[in-house]
Amino acid sequence: MMRSNDRRLEILAYGSFIIAVLVIPLLADVFWLNRIAKYLVFGMLGVAVALSWGYAGVLNLGQGLFFGMGAYMMAMSLKLQSPASVQPDGALLPDFMVWNAAPGASQHLCCISPGSWLWIPFQSQGFGIAMALMLPMLCSFLLGSSIFRLRISGVFVSIITLALVLLARLLLIDAQPLTNGFNGLTDLGWLTIGGYEFDPYAVATYYLVAVAVIVVLLATRFLVATRAGLILQATRDDANRARYLGFNVAAYQVFFFSVSGLIAGMAGMLYVIASEFASPTFLDLSFSISMVIWAAVGGRNSLLGACIGAILINVIEATASESPMLSEAWKAIIGLIFILVVLYLPRGLTGLARDIAARLGERPATSPKEQTQ
Amino acid sequence: MADILFIGLSLGSILLLIALGLSIIYGTMGVINMAHGELAMIGAYTAVLAGKYLGIGLIGSIPLGFLVAAVLGLVIERLVIRRLYRRIMDTLLATWGIAILLQQAIRLQFGLSFFGINIDGLGPGLQSVSVPAFLRDPVRLGDFVLQPYRSFIIVMTLILTGVTWLLLYRSAWGIQIRAIMRNPEMAAACGIDVRRVGALIFAFGSGLAGVAGVLLAGLKTVSPDMGASLVVDGFLVVVVGGVGSLVGTLISAGLLGQISGIFASVFNDIAARAVVLAVVIAVIMWRPSGLFNFKGR
Repeated sequence: MMRSNDRRLEILAYGSFIIAVLVIPLLADVFWLNRIAKYLVFGMLGVAVALSWGYAGVLNLGQGLFFGMGAYMMAMSLKLQSPASVQPDGALLPDFMVWNAAPGASQHLCCISPGSWLWIPFQSQGFGIAMALMLPMLCSFLLGSSIFRLRISGVFVSIITLALVLLARLLLIDAQPLTNGFNGLTDLGWLTIGGYEFDPYAVATYYLVAVAVIVVLLATRFLVATRAGLILQATRDDANRARYLGFNVAAYQVFFFSVSGLIAGMAGMLYVIASEFASPTFLDLSFSISMVIWAAVGGRNSLLGACIGAILINVIEATASESPMLSEAWKAIIGLIFILVVLYLPRGLTGLARDIAARLGERPATSPKEQTQ
Repeated sequence: MADILFIGLSLGSILLLIALGLSIIYGTMGVINMAHGELAMIGAYTAVLAGKYLGIGLIGSIPLGFLVAAVLGLVIERLVIRRLYRRIMDTLLATWGIAILLQQAIRLQFGLSFFGINIDGLGPGLQSVSVPAFLRDPVRLGDFVLQPYRSFIIVMTLILTGVTWLLLYRSAWGIQIRAIMRNPEMAAACGIDVRRVGALIFAFGSGLAGVAGVLLAGLKTVSPDMGASLVVDGFLVVVVGGVGSLVGTLISAGLLGQISGIFASVFNDIAARAVVLAVVIAVIMWRPSGLFNFKGR
């Protein structure tokens, strides 16, 4: 049960976060605005991790898979939007396909390289956006269905997702004629909606990202407070008990796993819009684990906490990496922070904030009992 | 055909070398040690430094690598792992942090590079260790070309597996370790010092990683980030084989090694790796507890 004090605190926290996100354009220059937009996207990833790890108890070490899917789907359609993709005869063709094409190959998307016809529908940006959202959701649904119906849990889910993201990364790099392999998709065009072009360095793009993050944050916060969200948390704490109480445990797990995949895919899509590239590094294991680190530092049991944790770490990292020496040291510091957070702050900064708030309130601190395993 | 099987055997022995330590640590303590690959990396750097400063060759570095990694493992166990028993996800994350720290320690030369001090043999660059002369030249046996260093690794792996088997099944420690694997609470109730045995196991497993690192140093270049891919492979082997099963780990390393050897020769390395990952996923889906597991979970 949430005490009214906590409730007020939470509303205050969400409110100030939203206001802060909305007023940043008044304070930051264009360069930083674009950077912060990217970090807000990472904040969204933090929400996805907190949802699956904190609320469902599923540590997905392959969240980068869904992020990468969203990113590549969006990047494919933005690539065709780029002026560099317009051929002399007016046909749309990504430049790397032209460079890699066998001599004498047809200069058209349908058959320049085997499988290049897959790019044809991406000439429509709407299709790219739809796929960037649908594909990650569909894949996480299918993956979740097969994992949770077999009652695979705990560390085995982590290993499967980890193996999957490594597998996908290999295939992505191997499909060089289709995906430009290691180099990724660069030199992208701008997102255009209803004739308006979203310049990545414009305030409009920042607000596009900011509003998306706020909507996702509030929607997931609402979702976990519903009956389904409560059953999910019951499942996390004791799956067998929830099963004996008659709940279809797998269905709830699959649902929230898919939502988490959708959020990660959406984050990937927005990241591409703000950063103008998609690369196989999105599917690196270290990136997927970094997301978990962000969520752990912010507080795995709090959607807002994980979101802020992600933004905070990335802002500090960006500041530190201004000097090459500091950036190497920063990596060591991140490792250290991580050990310390796991050892001494299992509930992350959110837990710390709650404890401090409880100490400040008159009530003698009745320690929160929401700690998980 | 014999060539392909030999390659598979060689790949499998390297997998086993990494997985051996992981397997007993995971089986006994329920700790997922993501820093295992970095402990191997430390072993490899021990060989590099021993060669540079002490004039000790690769073979002489093997016990040294074991010792250095084991002591480091003991320290890690004392400072971090001990506080996280039975919090399996948290051990995974904390040891990932340790892995980053170890990598940066080598890359930044223990922080000395900030003060302009450079130690030859450390730092972000690549290092190499030369293989002793008698293991260098390929031996021709009719059509079959025997790589002596790879054969040496296979033999060493078998010896280490044998030692681990002796420790687990033919020693007083082993009885305690196996008791803890099956039921730690009951083992503790019977008077076994679970923490002490745990510390010993962690040090031993780390030492095995160190030896693996020394042996790998003769096979490929040594760099601060060589460990990251090792630990993933090691884990796949452990999970496929079944937690805490030495036989399972042995067979699964052989299996995955052969699969990647065969597919690499028929298609290419990427296809081989993809097939291995797909097989691992299929095995976990089909038998989440691994191919060999006595725990009826």
